[in-house]
Amino acid sequence: MTLYLFQVLNGLGLGMIYFLIAVGLSIIFGLLNFVNFAHGAFFLLGSYFCYQVVALTGNFWLSLLIAPVIVGAIAWFAESNLLNRVYNLPHAFQILITLGMALVIQESAIMVWGTVGKNIAVPDLLQGIVQMGDFAYPIYRLFVISFSAVIALLLWLLLERTRFGALVRAGSENTEMVSLLGVNIFKLFSITFGLGATLAGLAGVLAAPLRGADPFMGAEILGIAFVVVVIGGMGSFTGALVGGLLVGLVQSIMSSLWPPGVHLMIYGSMALVILIRPYGLFGRA
Amino acid sequence: MKIPRFLKGTTIASLVAVLILPFVLPSTSLAIEVLIFSIAALGCNLLLGYTGLLSFGQGIFFGMGSYATSLCLQRLDAGLVTSLLLAFVVGGLVAAVVGGLSIRRRGIYFVMLTLAFAQMFYFMAYTASGLTGGDNGLLDVPRPPLRVFGFEISTLGASLSYYVFVAVLFLAIFVALRRIIHSPFGSTLLAIRDNEERATAIGYNTRYFKIVAFMISGSITAVAGGLYAMFLNFAPLSNIEHLMGEQILFMTIIGGTGSLFGSFLGAGFLIVVGDVLSAIWPRWLMLLGFLLIAIVLFMRGGLWGCIESLMGRFRGHQNTKKDPPLSESPTGSLSTKEEAKNER
Repeated sequence: MTLYLFQVLNGLGLGMIYFLIAVGLSIIFGLLNFVNFAHGAFFLLGSYFCYQVVALTGNFWLSLLIAPVIVGAIAWFAESNLLNRVYNLPHAFQILITLGMALVIQESAIMVWGTVGKNIAVPDLLQGIVQMGDFAYPIYRLFVISFSAVIALLLWLLLERTRFGALVRAGSENTEMVSLLGVNIFKLFSITFGLGATLAGLAGVLAAPLRGADPFMGAEILGIAFVVVVIGGMGSFTGALVGGLLVGLVQSIMSSLWPPGVHLMIYGSMALVILIRPYGLFGRA
Repeated sequence: MKIPRFLKGTTIASLVAVLILPFVLPSTSLAIEVLIFSIAALGCNLLLGYTGLLSFGQGIFFGMGSYATSLCLQRLDAGLVTSLLLAFVVGGLVAAVVGGLSIRRRGIYFVMLTLAFAQMFYFMAYTASGLTGGDNGLLDVPRPPLRVFGFEISTLGASLSYYVFVAVLFLAIFVALRRIIHSPFGSTLLAIRDNEERATAIGYNTRYFKIVAFMISGSITAVAGGLYAMFLNFAPLSNIEHLMGEQILFMTIIGGTGSLFGSFLGAGFLIVVGDVLSAIWPRWLMLLGFLLIAIVLFMRGGLWGCIESLMGRFRGHQNTKKDPPLSESPTGSLSTKEEAKNER
């Protein structure tokens, strides 16, 4: 029994990290109608910036603050100088240009930090385990779950209770109408794109002490993020949350039952969802 | 005697290119690699350039082709032609299934489906290690002599003779594809690419045409995969990875979609540049990244588009610029939301 509790908690932590990556991808798609194949690269940058800040200052908390912001700034810069030129092109070109961006980021990371992965130590404050009877669980993993839950709550408040959130939601419904009502839609696009990338960067920082940073994890995580977004429904906050937790739990539980089947099941369910219910579990038809 | 149109123009250009390739390039094996990937890019081009389908699943067909050929050679002890024919059939069947399911959705959902299938096939190949060798791949794939009706034509032992064999196949596939594209079937594919609703409205069963396009593309790509396995004497797991599909896609786009000769240019460019640069600068993929960005921003016709517009300028034609071949008609982002919904 305790084994399953362990796997479920692991799954929750993994799922929350997936949520943070996928929700940005999902909002960007909802508002900008833009497929961002560079999203995994933002996750990658988050992990590496975390490594760099920890290596320079020895302070994980500082990296938790700084790294996502730098990632967001880079994404904002790329959006407002490069990607905004391709919004009126077919999806194929958007896929190509973001794939190109992802390649550039990945290769730059290798140039700076090398091909061999980097390890990031769990911060002192969060080292050790929690003991409950005969069940022990690492504190850091509990921290990841609760911290990302707080972020999820804040993000929900931002999207549901502020003017900015209202604009994003309205824009996802009908971009043209929002723009006609006098909103600078391109500024909204840039901010949203930056926000999505910041969240991916944050996920990268949180995941760094768990799995380290290696230059090829961007592509891998991008695949998972697409699965989450598709299962939950493109453009849906709730969908990203439920989809992220589902994929995290499935991955964690399956890996103790039948490890080779993990990815088959994840990608198989992605294909099934698109075929049967293309708008996902929580998307609108 | 009148020479048919599909034997002129770029067919002659390919013939010339194939003849001089082994002498221009530093090694014959590089030339073989260029032609094998040209074949794969031709298959991809039929889907992307002529039917408007951006598929990340080309790696599936390439990998399945190389597994089919290798297994046929190793376990059934079959000949060269039989093994390649098997790859051709397997590629077509797999493409019928993958394509048939994927085309049930359009636009970005179609792309996502091909991505999901690419990953599924990769992990299936990884798991079924009894058949595919898993992570190690299939080692010691033989390259049997070329026999037709019992006559041994060549042992294909030397790389130049294997080059000639691959080159003949490349030219045959090139001509066949040109013939297909200029047939009524090909025109229907173009109609689907340019405006699927209209093609449906006229009365074409667009789903059938798309599946057939997928099958042709899958068969051709699988043959390329089989040739590659025999070339390497090895069928690695990376042949079926989604990165392989991505690479084939990049070659097609860099060369120029909507032009068969462009596929040859793209494959040649990527492989030769990769071979030259990777020796002096291991991070040359960064250049590829910048190139992709530049292609989207400045030259959507790829290398072939550049050559075409240069030739146009040379002949003194103004405004020979055509619509970017990859596209449905460009639409403003502010009005694409409705279309995104229609995609489902």
